[in-house]
Amino acid sequence: MLTLKSVSRHYGQASAIDGLDLVVPDDSYVSLLGASGSGKTTLLRIIAGFEEPDNGTISLRGARLDGVPPHKRGVGFVFQNFALFPHLSVEDNVAFGLRYREERPVRDKAEVRERVQTILGLVGLEGLGRRAVGAISGGQKQRVALARTLIAEPKIVLLDEPLGALDANLRERMCDELRAIRQRLGISFLHVTGSETEALLMGDQVAVLADGAIAQIAPPDDLFRSPASATVARHLNAFNIISGTVSDGRLRSPVGALALPTGTGARNGQPMSVALPYDGIAVKPRRDEASDGISARFVTAEFKGPSMLSFFRAADGSLIQSLVHLSEPRPPRYEPDQVYALDFDPELLIAFPERAY
Amino acid sequence: MESRLLKPALAVYLGLFLLFLYGPMIVMAILSFQGPTGGPQFPIVEWSTYWYQHLFGQISGSRVSQLPVGESLIRSLVLAVMTTIVSTVLGVMAAQAFRTRFAGSGPIFYLFVLGMIVPGVLVGLGMALLSNMLGIDRAWWSTSFVLHVVYTFPFAFLVMLAIFNRFDRSVEEASLSLGVSPAETFRRVTFPMIFPGVLSAMLFSFTLSYDEFSRTLFTSGPRLTLPLSIYGTFSVEIYPNVFAFGVLTTVFSFTLLAIYGLLMMRSVARNNQQYKGQET
Repeated sequence: MLTLKSVSRHYGQASAIDGLDLVVPDDSYVSLLGASGSGKTTLLRIIAGFEEPDNGTISLRGARLDGVPPHKRGVGFVFQNFALFPHLSVEDNVAFGLRYREERPVRDKAEVRERVQTILGLVGLEGLGRRAVGAISGGQKQRVALARTLIAEPKIVLLDEPLGALDANLRERMCDELRAIRQRLGISFLHVTGSETEALLMGDQVAVLADGAIAQIAPPDDLFRSPASATVARHLNAFNIISGTVSDGRLRSPVGALALPTGTGARNGQPMSVALPYDGIAVKPRRDEASDGISARFVTAEFKGPSMLSFFRAADGSLIQSLVHLSEPRPPRYEPDQVYALDFDPELLIAFPERAY
Repeated sequence: MESRLLKPALAVYLGLFLLFLYGPMIVMAILSFQGPTGGPQFPIVEWSTYWYQHLFGQISGSRVSQLPVGESLIRSLVLAVMTTIVSTVLGVMAAQAFRTRFAGSGPIFYLFVLGMIVPGVLVGLGMALLSNMLGIDRAWWSTSFVLHVVYTFPFAFLVMLAIFNRFDRSVEEASLSLGVSPAETFRRVTFPMIFPGVLSAMLFSFTLSYDEFSRTLFTSGPRLTLPLSIYGTFSVEIYPNVFAFGVLTTVFSFTLLAIYGLLMMRSVARNNQQYKGQET
């Protein structure tokens, strides 16, 4: 179990990580979702020991990690750019840790060879051992990087956007393989990514990193069903976030007055944000009377294969997205610059009361 | 239209430039095959390898004394090798230190680089005065050696700094995260990767030290290095044997360059194998 307690890291005035708590259980896959610049790479580098935190403690299975030099931590690291040793063959890259590590190096050549072959088989690289690392493809490089880390039997593996440098179709396949490999070995993976689909697909638990701390950690479906805050909902890239103030049980917002889900129970004047799922919107022709709900101008639509994402601009200029799964009846073609009424079931809204400042 | 004129013009210009670069060397090479009765100028009286034989002491009874370069050549080579080793080691270490910013790294950088900028004559003179003051005998292997290192170290340092600038630190971090100690990481990862740079630094140090003149002039004491003893022969009278010697040293330099090129190609090829094929 990896435990981080109120870890902080500052660069000059700016703080990249600010009082962060995180627990990565043994034998689990945790994905860490964060926007670019949210400090997610910094966090991994702190755990690996490439940087030290300004405050806070890190412990792995009860032993303190902070202050320990990186090569004595037993933490594996898979880099976004693979960081393979360019002067060594695939085999020698993979065998590197076994041969040259400070503790318990394996001197027996036959044993090294055998373990290298086993791990190459595990990541699906049989027969490529003698290749130079410059002579293999991106996906294969990522497998070599993974094999090289796994052979050292780390207590936990940190993956820094490991699929970022791969093609889209390859990325999906590597996702499945990563999960399978992890399950077979029973090591914990902490996988950092900026892609919500990747995070939701990979993690047994998904941690959302925002403002230098973990905003929420939960299994993917829980996270999706009940995000803890507007910030978390925004990271999931599946909700329109609308902010306003409560008045007579409704939310007065720049895009219009919205009915709130039953049982929200907020007093007048309470600032509040709501998350409206992309796929909870029904687009209707405009009603004339100024009523509840959102009126918005159609901007453009993106055809995404199994779904269609439409963009509308509300009166105050904010963008509202509507997703229609094409298994449902296909929506009519919307006219650009035409105003439509965006209807939704108020019970689909997730309300986040905010502190009044 | 423009490029049809421009390209041949540039080609001619380049040709002239190369001729300008190598002209003196070509003239020297031609004159080195002068006959026994000819002088160090055109015309060639007779083609022969007389002066090469003269150089190696195989001509007896010549009125021209043999070029006194044997020992000074050895001295220069030993000095250049010593300088190369020390400067390169220091250069690599210093550049490695400069990868992270430390207190005073700015001023220290300029102090390091100053060694290649200050006029050699002044440094040489200063060293001579200092060693007199301290009562140290001047010799090519002590006072000159120190100045050679002072002079060549900044070059090695700058070469290595440029190499480390492009160096991807994550490769070293990958090694550390595998449990490999920093020292072993340097040996197994960093050094093999910066090796082409180390070769360049060595080449710089060697050639700069090998024909260093002004700093050595004041500090070498009674035993001369090669550039000094060649200069010494000029003050008497010049015979084509100097040219023959020049050709031989040039050939030696080219051999050195060829070895450098080969090592470089091998090391670069190993680091740069490209993947060609379908992504699978």
